[in-house]
Amino acid sequence: MSTNQKNIRNFCIVAHIDHGKSTLADRLMEKTGQVSERDMEEQLLDSMDLERERGITIKLTPVRMYYKAKDGNEYVFNLIDTPGHVDFTYEVSRSLKACEGAILIVDATQGVQAQTLANAYLAIDNDLEIMPVINKMDLASARPDGAAEELENILGVDASDAPRISAKSGLNVEDVLEQVVQKVPAPTGNPDAPLKALIFDSYYDNFKGVICFVRIVDGKVKVGTKIKTFMSDKEFVVTETGVFAPKMLPTDELSAGEVGYIAASIKSIEDTAVGDTITEVENPTPKALPGYKKALPMVFSGVFPLDGSKFNDLKDALLKLKLNDAALSIEPDNSAALGFGFRCGFLGLLHMDVIQERIEREFDLDIITTAPSVSYKVYKTDGTQMVVENPTHLPPVTEIAYMEEPVINASIFTPPEYVGPIMELCQFKRGVYKDMTYLDKTRVQMKYTLPLNEIIYDFFDSLKSRTKGYASFDYDIAGYEKSDLVKLDMLLNGDICDALSIIVHKDKAYERGRQIAEKLKEVIPRQMFEIPIQAAVGGKIIARETVKAFRKDVLAKCYGGDVTRKKKLLEKQKEGKKKMRSIGSVEIPSEAFISILKTDNGN
Amino acid sequence: MAGIYIHVPFCKSKCTYCDFASFPKEINKTESYFACLYRETEGRAKQLKDKVFDTIYIGGGTPSVVDSKFIVGAIRQVKKHFNLTDNPEITIEINPGTLTEEKVKDCKSVGINRFSIGLQTGYDDQLKRLNRIHTAKEFLLCCNMLKGENISADVLIGLHDQTLEQVKKTIDLALAGGVKHISVYALTPEVGTPIYTDYLNGELLSDDEVADIYDGVVEYLKEKGINRYEVSNFSCDGYRSKHNQTYWKRGEYIGLGISASSFIDGRRFTNTYHLDEYINAVIVNRFPEISSEIIEGDDAEFEKIMLALRTTDGLDVIAFNKEFNVDFSVKYKKPLAKKSAFLDFDGKTLKIKSEYLYVQNDIIMAFMEI
Repeated sequence: MSTNQKNIRNFCIVAHIDHGKSTLADRLMEKTGQVSERDMEEQLLDSMDLERERGITIKLTPVRMYYKAKDGNEYVFNLIDTPGHVDFTYEVSRSLKACEGAILIVDATQGVQAQTLANAYLAIDNDLEIMPVINKMDLASARPDGAAEELENILGVDASDAPRISAKSGLNVEDVLEQVVQKVPAPTGNPDAPLKALIFDSYYDNFKGVICFVRIVDGKVKVGTKIKTFMSDKEFVVTETGVFAPKMLPTDELSAGEVGYIAASIKSIEDTAVGDTITEVENPTPKALPGYKKALPMVFSGVFPLDGSKFNDLKDALLKLKLNDAALSIEPDNSAALGFGFRCGFLGLLHMDVIQERIEREFDLDIITTAPSVSYKVYKTDGTQMVVENPTHLPPVTEIAYMEEPVINASIFTPPEYVGPIMELCQFKRGVYKDMTYLDKTRVQMKYTLPLNEIIYDFFDSLKSRTKGYASFDYDIAGYEKSDLVKLDMLLNGDICDALSIIVHKDKAYERGRQIAEKLKEVIPRQMFEIPIQAAVGGKIIARETVKAFRKDVLAKCYGGDVTRKKKLLEKQKEGKKKMRSIGSVEIPSEAFISILKTDNGN
Repeated sequence: MAGIYIHVPFCKSKCTYCDFASFPKEINKTESYFACLYRETEGRAKQLKDKVFDTIYIGGGTPSVVDSKFIVGAIRQVKKHFNLTDNPEITIEINPGTLTEEKVKDCKSVGINRFSIGLQTGYDDQLKRLNRIHTAKEFLLCCNMLKGENISADVLIGLHDQTLEQVKKTIDLALAGGVKHISVYALTPEVGTPIYTDYLNGELLSDDEVADIYDGVVEYLKEKGINRYEVSNFSCDGYRSKHNQTYWKRGEYIGLGISASSFIDGRRFTNTYHLDEYINAVIVNRFPEISSEIIEGDDAEFEKIMLALRTTDGLDVIAFNKEFNVDFSVKYKKPLAKKSAFLDFDGKTLKIKSEYLYVQNDIIMAFMEI
C-alpha cells in the first residue's frame, strides 16, 4: 500500500563542501532506524571509494526513512543526497526537482560560504522550502549566532529557529527530523491522474536493465504497467518498482509523491534520459515535466592510454562512465605525440579529476592527460566560425580574424584581511573587478569576471594558499568575450609536441612559455644526447632551456655475481621507460603533460 | 675454458662502502669455514668432471687476512679435485697491511701468480674516511714484497671532494708500485652501507663530476700505455685479467664459499650469504645454494650482449650467431637502428663507441626489446 501523500516528505540537503552534509544524512538514517549504529559505515550514501576518500559526494543517492513524529503520525522521508561542489551544480538541480524542501546546512565555525549561496539560490529557484540548520556545534570555535545572522543578512532566510546541531555527535538531530515534518511541504500530486514521473537519475544493472530513479508526480505505477517516455517512442512493461531503504527494496507500487525506482527491462540507457518524463501508454499525461537544462562541458582535456594498445579498454571505460554521467563528453582524438585517445569535456576541474581518477581506479588503466583547455570561438577571415576545444585544431594565424574565450562570473567569500591578495590574484588572472560587499565584520563577498582559461590552471590552489584556505569560490559561466589569444607550442629537440600546445593570452605567452620550458627541463630526464626545449608562438622562439646529456649510466662492476642483479636493474630502468612517451627521439615521462599546469606561479 | 672463484669472507674491519659478504667479527670461524670450503670444493668437482678450468680467483673480504695455510689448502684442494690447465691464472686479492713475506712465499708455492691489491686511493685521509685499515705507504711496502709479480690495483673514484688530480696521483703511486693492471671503480653507494648516508646528504661527487674524473682517468692511463679493455678495467698489453674476461664472455665459472655465484651449463646459482647457514649446509653434504635460474633463449642472448658490450673488444657477432643459431643483424635490427649513433657495427663485431662506454645502460636496454 502506498503512503498517504500528506505523510510524505521529499527533501535534499544542500551545503558548502565539508559543512557536514553526508554526516547529517548518516545521522538521520541512524535516528530513524534505517541503519543500526552497528552497521553504520561513515558516510553511507557516498558509496564510491573516491567519494569517501575525498569527503565529497559526486553522484546523488536517494534513501527512504520512516519517522514517527511527535504528533503521533508516521512519516516517510525521502532524502536525496546531492553533490556539494560547483562542478556538480547540474546534478544538484536534478535532485532538487524531485523534492519539496531543502535542508541548508551552514557550518557554525565558517558561516555562509560561496557554495552555500550557490546551492541555496538553486533551491530557491526550484521553489523549495529552505530549512536552515547550523552544524558543528561540537567545535569550540562555533559561532552559531554569527552563522544565523549571515543566513538572514545574506540569504534572507529566517534562521531564528534553525536547529543548532552537531551531526557528528548527534546533538539536536531530532529537531531536524521534527522540522522536516513541520516545514517541508507534503507533495500535492494527484494519485488518480495519468502517470507522470520524473527520471532524476539512472544506471544500468546487468540483470534488470536500466534502473530509473524517479519521483512520481502524478498517478501510480506498478508491475505490469505499460510505460513510455516523452523523448523515445519505445514502450516498456514495468518489471519492478521499489524504494531505497537504503538498498533497493521492491514495493507493490509507487504512487504520487513518492520517490523510488522503476525497472522495465530497458536495454539501453539512451531510452530513458535523465530529466525525461515517464507516463502510461494507455492513459498518457498530455504534457511532459520541464526536465533539465543540458549540462555543457566547459573544460576539455586529452585522455590517452599510457599503453597505446589499451585504447579499446579506455574507450570502454569512458563509455561506461558516460552511461551514468551525461555531462561527460567524449570524442576520438589523435595526437602525434600520444597516439590515439579521446578529447573529453568536463563540467569543471573537479569533474575532470574525478573522471580521470575513476578511470585509473575502477578500470585499472594508466592514462596520460593533457593540459586542460576551454572551448574557444574562432572567427575566421573567410567569415566562418568554428569552436576549438583542442589547441592543435586552431587554424593558422593568417586565417583567424579574431577569437573569443569563455568568461565566468566569480563570487569569492573571504575574511577582509585577504581582500588585497585576492585582488592581486584576480588581476594576475586577467580578472575584471565588478563588486565588493562587506557582509559583516568577518566576511566580504568579491565579484569578478575572469576568463575561464585562467581558472582551469591553478586558480583554486593560488586562492587557497593566499588566503590560508579561508576564501571560498563559486562561479557560473557568463558568456564569451573577444580576446587576444595565441597558440603556444613547445618544441622538443626541434619538433613540436602537439600534446603540449596550449592557447594563452598574448600578454602571457612569453611568461608561460618560459615557465613551461623550465618545468619540462625539470621533468624530462637526461638522455643520451642534449635536448633543447623551446617555446614558440607563431614560429618565433620565445624561450629556451636545455636538458643536458647524461654522462654516467653504467654499473661500475659486473662480475660473476653481478649479472642477475644488473639484468634486474636494467629491467627496472626499462619498466620506468614504459611510462615514457617518445616524441621523436626524446622520451618524456607521462606526468610532463600535466605538469605544465603547475607552472603558473601566480602566488 | 672456465673459471673458479673462491670467496674468503673475512676482514679486519668493514669499509664504509662495502656490501660484500665479509665478517670482521667472525674471523674466529676461519677454521670451520675453510673445512667446509674444502668439502664444497670436492663436492662440486665431482659434478664437474667434464669441465676444464684455466683460472682461479680468490676474492673477498680480504683473503690476505687469514693464515696463509688456509689459502694454500684451498688451492691444493682445487688442484686435487678439478681438471685444470697446465698454467692456470691464479689471482688473490690483497689488502695492504695484511701481507707478510711469509704469506707471499706460501702463495707463490701453490702457483698464485697474480696479486690484486685494494689501493682505492693514495690519500691517507680519504682511506681513513672509508674505514680502510692501511696507508698509502703500506701499499708500496706491499708492492715491494711482490716485486716482479703480476700486480693489479683497485682505485675508487667519486669519493668525498675527490679531484681528478688526486686520482692521477693515486695512479702514479700504483705505477710506482709496479702494477700492470688497474681497475677504476666509481663508488656505488649501496643501501645499508654507512656511505649511503653521505650519498643521501649529497656529500659524494655528482654523476657529472664522476664522469669528468673517469674521462680524465681513461686519457691519463692511455698516456701511460695502460688501455681500457672493459668499463672499469685497464691494463698493459698482455696483462688483462683472464678470469674476469671469462665473465664478460659469458663463459662458465664455479663459485665456492659463501655468496659465490656460479654459471654452469646455462644455470646461474648463488650460495648463501650467511656464514652459519653455509657451514650448516655443507656439514650435511648439501650445496648451500639459495637461488638458481636457468637462462635460455632471448635472456641468454641478452646476457651475452650486455656483458660483451662492456668490453672494448665488443661482441663477436659471428660467434654469437653460431652459439645461438640466429642472425644477429636481422634479429636485433631494431635496437641496432635505434642506437646506431652510439654503436660501431661492421657486421662482424659490435662495439659501443668508446665515448659512450660510460653511458651504456640506455644503449644495452634497447637490446631487451626486439
